[in-house]
Amino acid sequence: MTESKENGITILTVNGNLDAEGTQALEEKVLALLDAGETSLLFDFTGLDYINSSGLRILVLAYQRLKKASGKVAICGVRDYIQEVFEVSGYDKIFPLFRDRAGAVGSM
Amino acid sequence: MTTHVTSFRMTNRMNCFKRVQPEVERFAMAHGLSPKCTFHLTLCLDELITNIIDYGYADFDEHPIDVTITLENGCVSVRIEDDAEPFNLLEAPPPELEVPLEERTKPIGGMGIHLVKTMMDGIEYTRKNGRNILLLRKCVCDDGALAGAPHE
Repeated sequence: MTESKENGITILTVNGNLDAEGTQALEEKVLALLDAGETSLLFDFTGLDYINSSGLRILVLAYQRLKKASGKVAICGVRDYIQEVFEVSGYDKIFPLFRDRAGAVGSM
Repeated sequence: MTTHVTSFRMTNRMNCFKRVQPEVERFAMAHGLSPKCTFHLTLCLDELITNIIDYGYADFDEHPIDVTITLENGCVSVRIEDDAEPFNLLEAPPPELEVPLEERTKPIGGMGIHLVKTMMDGIEYTRKNGRNILLLRKCVCDDGALAGAPHE
């Protein structure tokens, strides 16, 4: 997982698997960023191979916290079978999903 | 038609994903299942067995969980057998998908089971001799999952 900043947006790039360990690391990172006052978060999932309901929970947590702070959260680069997880869970209606990072940064 | 089977035993002390994922991956590679189908099988096993490990046991002992994956006639069947507390996921309440996220009482509650119910084509639950036996079925011919299957 790498963290970067573009146009005031904090980008978390997650590669590989959001299994129990990966999800815990992501949760700690997201909570630290939110506690530090970040209000624009973009999850770049271009290199993400796996996510489960615990991983989705972290995205919802970020959404709920940022909603109260009038912040923004978006996701980019999800592959087709992970996109389906967002559709099945109904989260594709909550999170703006962008094809790539440039499109997301330009629209947020 | 040929039947392919793989079985493995794990316990509630193991890291669920790390135990399940290589087994599914190996089976999928050997029989030409698509990445999407492989993901569905891994996700469903991960969600269900994590549930068993997190909520299924009243004691702190080590318990076996047995998994069998079968491919026959274009259908993958997954059998999970455990000695955890009775749990019939067919009776689990659905998540509040129609309620806006901010108003949901349990924003993520039941989502794992909802994913399993949506991604599988058939689910059967039996409680027998103090054990939960869950049978999942997924047809893999409709998504081109077997397109790259090696010739027999």
